[in-house]
Amino acid sequence: MATVVIMPKQGQSVESCILTEMKKKKGDTVAVGDILFSYETDKASFEEEAKVAGTVLDVFFDNGDEIPVLTNVMVIGNEGESTEEFRPGGAAAEAPAAAPAAESAAPAATPAAAPAPEAKVAAPAAAPAGSVSPVSPRAKTLAAKEAINASALSGTGPHGRVIERDVQAAIDAAPKTTPLAKAIMKETGAAAPESGSGLAGKVKGADVGALKNSVYASDSEIKPISNMRKIIAKAMHASLQNSAQLTHHLSADARRIMALRKKVKKAVENGYPTNITLNDMVCMAVIKALKKFPQVNAHFLGDSTRNFSKVHLGLAVDTERGLMVPTVKNADDLSIQGLSNQLKEVADACKKGSIDPDLLSSEAASFTVSNLGNYGVEIFTPVINLPQVAILGVNTIVPRPKDLGGGVYGFVPHIGLSLTYDHRALDGGEATRFVKQIATEIENLDFEL
Amino acid sequence: MPKSQFIDPKEMRKAGEITFTPIPVNQYKKTIKDELKEKNFTKEDLKRIYHDMVVIREFETMLQLVKTTGGYNGVEYNNPGPAHLSAGQEAAAVGMAYMLNVNDFIFGSHRSHGEILAKGLRAIQLLDDKELEKIMNEFWDGATLNVAKKAFKGGTVKELGIRFLLYGALAEIFARTTGFNKGLGGSMHTFFTPFGIYPNNAIVGGSGSIAVGAALYKKVNRKPGIVVANLGDASMARGPVWEGMTFAAMDQFKKLWADDMKGGLPVIINIMDNQYGMGGQTRGETMGFDFAARIGAGVNPEQMHAERVDGYNPLAVIDCYRRKKAILEEKKDGPVLIDVLTYRYSGHSPSDASSYRTKEEIEAWEAIDCIKLYGKELIEAGVATQADLDAIDKEIKDIMFDTFKLAIDDELSPRMDLHKQPDLIGTMMFSNQSIDSLSDAKPEVNHPMSENPRVQQIAKKERFAFDKDGKPFSKMKQFQLRDGIFEAIIDRFYKDASLVAYGEENRDWGGAFAVYRGLTEALPYHRLFNAPIAEAAIIGTAIGYAMCGGRVIPEIMYCDFLGCCGDEVFNQLPKWQAMSGNILKMPVVVRVSVGSKYGAQHSQDWTSLAAHIPGLKVVFPVTPYDAKGLMNAALQGTDPVIFFESQRIYDVGEQFHEGGVPEGYYEIPLGEPDIKREGKDITILTIGATLYRALDAAKILEEKYGMSAEVIDARSLVPFNYEKVIASVKKTGRIVIAGDATARGSFLNDLARNISEMAFDYLDAPAVVLGSRDWITPAYELEYAFFPQVDSFIDIIHEKIVPLPGHVPTRNFTEAEQMRRAKEGI
Repeated sequence: MATVVIMPKQGQSVESCILTEMKKKKGDTVAVGDILFSYETDKASFEEEAKVAGTVLDVFFDNGDEIPVLTNVMVIGNEGESTEEFRPGGAAAEAPAAAPAAESAAPAATPAAAPAPEAKVAAPAAAPAGSVSPVSPRAKTLAAKEAINASALSGTGPHGRVIERDVQAAIDAAPKTTPLAKAIMKETGAAAPESGSGLAGKVKGADVGALKNSVYASDSEIKPISNMRKIIAKAMHASLQNSAQLTHHLSADARRIMALRKKVKKAVENGYPTNITLNDMVCMAVIKALKKFPQVNAHFLGDSTRNFSKVHLGLAVDTERGLMVPTVKNADDLSIQGLSNQLKEVADACKKGSIDPDLLSSEAASFTVSNLGNYGVEIFTPVINLPQVAILGVNTIVPRPKDLGGGVYGFVPHIGLSLTYDHRALDGGEATRFVKQIATEIENLDFEL
Repeated sequence: MPKSQFIDPKEMRKAGEITFTPIPVNQYKKTIKDELKEKNFTKEDLKRIYHDMVVIREFETMLQLVKTTGGYNGVEYNNPGPAHLSAGQEAAAVGMAYMLNVNDFIFGSHRSHGEILAKGLRAIQLLDDKELEKIMNEFWDGATLNVAKKAFKGGTVKELGIRFLLYGALAEIFARTTGFNKGLGGSMHTFFTPFGIYPNNAIVGGSGSIAVGAALYKKVNRKPGIVVANLGDASMARGPVWEGMTFAAMDQFKKLWADDMKGGLPVIINIMDNQYGMGGQTRGETMGFDFAARIGAGVNPEQMHAERVDGYNPLAVIDCYRRKKAILEEKKDGPVLIDVLTYRYSGHSPSDASSYRTKEEIEAWEAIDCIKLYGKELIEAGVATQADLDAIDKEIKDIMFDTFKLAIDDELSPRMDLHKQPDLIGTMMFSNQSIDSLSDAKPEVNHPMSENPRVQQIAKKERFAFDKDGKPFSKMKQFQLRDGIFEAIIDRFYKDASLVAYGEENRDWGGAFAVYRGLTEALPYHRLFNAPIAEAAIIGTAIGYAMCGGRVIPEIMYCDFLGCCGDEVFNQLPKWQAMSGNILKMPVVVRVSVGSKYGAQHSQDWTSLAAHIPGLKVVFPVTPYDAKGLMNAALQGTDPVIFFESQRIYDVGEQFHEGGVPEGYYEIPLGEPDIKREGKDITILTIGATLYRALDAAKILEEKYGMSAEVIDARSLVPFNYEKVIASVKKTGRIVIAGDATARGSFLNDLARNISEMAFDYLDAPAVVLGSRDWITPAYELEYAFFPQVDSFIDIIHEKIVPLPGHVPTRNFTEAEQMRRAKEGI
């Protein structure tokens, strides 16, 4: 019996996922554990493994499609078995989704579905060669948006006018196009080939010709951005638009943590299991400081604040797919070793794309640390992950002149701390006292190995 | 049709005859010496009369020279506007004005420079200096006075007043913002209400009914003073003038109006009988009255106290006015008609070569020129010396030249800059005020509103058409459209003492369509009465009434009768607010009932005609809720509103507004269309009662074709807010605009054009107009082929917007047919 593979629901708030890559095509044989396809949510990417063995009987979506969770994606079974009943939006599934208006039913149905009541609208016939159909302004607007050559269609309006429903039918019948291909078609007016070179005949950018430059043939490329990028863009832009952010910079004497780090390194060489990094130590100091400044361990909700009794520490992680901020829950319960292990765990999960999406939500963390010290950044202004009220940027260690007493000045390593806070929630005084407290905690940090 | 007046057949069938009393012609015989002996005048008064006549003569001479020689006293100026001059008529004008107080009003014609100057000069003499100064200082915040002062080298306030008057009038004629009406009235419309000078009128006889309305205002609101309508002899041929006189002479003023309201209207029809109307000679050619004074004998038993008087002698005219004023004010026995003999030296206008009269004739009149003759008599009577008169002439010439130079100075007397303020005139078309009452008086009513039988009857009605289960109540139980209009109107009658309503069957009958049932019981005669069948007078008097500061609801029983008051509705009512430079308000709500079942002359929807005329607000509510709310808003405002009602649906209940029609006061702003049914596939925008057919069509579209129609009721035509309609069309991509007006040239096309422009890229088909056929309205039984019907909607959508599966149209909406009809003009 054929087995249907659905788009899993990843996380409570996830409504749909993007199919990043379909790894099996119709007719392929799969074994249990084979990767069938990869997909991503707003916040993370995943791979779906085969849970049964068999032959891929049908694949309903293409790369780049946004698929509502729990929707059938593909069917695995024995050759010859029927798959039509599993097709999303097919005959069986169509009923509830169909528009009540018969007048608009035709465009809503896919070509493979039962024939629409009005045959002439269901199949968007091409206009007879050489003739150009009149097109209604509304149809023209829709056609331009969807890169359809409307005047080549045969219209069903009065006097053969191409009206909206004709363009809609053509869109439904046309091969799927990638966003890049659509952008190129819009720009160049190129027509889509009947079938493209992509999966399931999807029209790709290459099928419709790259953008042309008379000297270099192509001097630019329009690339669709990833879902992830869209999310980051939206969140960062919203943060800067919707809050009153400013950043205070100061530095802490780093001699203490550098000494501790040296100790850790030596211990690790001797088989100690946890490689506690400078970042782990700074995070520990932050947790301690947060316990003393509960108003910073909070969310700003417009007309109220949510103050957390526990510290849920967010850590900005740079991954190939973009910035991710996983959370370590209840971080104040952890020893330095536990904290170090958990920070490493969530960062790795992000890099692999296996992080629990719920941990990526900006609501999950009560405070965030972003460490660019590794990269030699000396000063920066991190952007708050709303609704959190502040974020700490950790900079590189630089030697600074310091009064060592008795009129003697020496260079002392200092670690830079950049606290961005939301002035709607916090005032400059308390923000300063808080970042100063972090410095104090750093300078006085101690732990047993 | 008062029941108190029994029409007794016995009396009516009795033999007898109608007798007339002789109408005096030129009976004044006194000399200046007689007048001095009788102490009717002082010597100063007599010299002042000479002075005022010379002012007018010089003013008109100046304009004549500007027109014919391109300048005055060697200073060049081009005045492209009109100049209908009255040189020769000075004695008539000054004689008319002499007996008038400041609060007596005059209305004029296209040839009224002389009359306004005469009345203004007289008012300046009568006003005390403080009042005069106040008027001048406050007018346009002193802008007019400040320029008039420029050439004033000191003297009395009254001397400054004369300069102010001449400058304000001339600047107005030259279209300057410092003119009396910001230059928006011009030569034929100049006026200045603080001196009791009400508008002149470029339509011959236009003042014939408006002045009567002003007299009605004075009477109903107990304001002192009389009203003079200055009309030309040729205007006596005009229907609206007759209608105005008929209205003024109604028996009811003396027989039915009660207590202090009893008595005739205080109005004088003053015929400036200059012998010609354009090139037509009234006596002997274009009229048959021999003397215009004869007309009075045809109007009422008092013969309008008609008299013909020698207007070449100012003292004869003054003598006549002295006697006639007493008739109006003491005997309350108006109206009065005076036929003032006079003569104009110039042609109708400077382009008139006077080819219809001989040089000898003009010279004969010039030989007895009213100013020269009067001056001679002054000298003979020892009132003045030639040197005195020469001094007056010289002084006036100097003032006139000063005034001329100031009025043509583009810096001191600028015109509106419509490059810098392109919408300045637009902002003056409506006054857009919101005022509860235009009178401080306590509204006169017969009983508390709660005791009114109609109010009590309505209280028992269902204010929403359907019961809880959606079943309609019986028609009798439903609060109907007519009840909605009634509630708004009776409410205003109890709020605003100035409000009056009249029409052809308003009292006793309660209106042909029972809107006013119950009002007769509530109101005394002078607030609600029957007018003669004289639509021009019904609207014309309403204009005069409103101009003077009252609120009024004239009724036109059938829309088709708008044609009978075309001048009043199209030329007068819409224009006066802007033409006055926003000095006048026009709170007139004209109720117009659109007929049904009554054939070609009683079933036409002329909303488009009204909407075409700038300056009118036009509404056409078709639900009780909308009717009450829009009537309230119309009555709260200060602008003319043409309030259309449909006879097809006076009995319709409220089917849309949740909770039914509110009992209390509420307003629906004019100009806001209303979505009566929501939908997503097509928009139907309707004007008038067509709404109900559109809703039936929407039901069929939904049930048979799965197409959901959004139906929008325009409610108003002017103003009109397109936002909701455009949003709807953006959603649906399709629109049918429907109404009962014949399609060609109708406002439906206007809506269609604007929607096409503003939502072009969203349209899936052209905006389609569904109006009536360009025919006569046939008998009720044949109306199915004429007015838009339910199936017309389906057919036109199928043919022009989106073919409907399986639909076979029965009406021909093809383009070939459209072409054929246009070609044949049908």
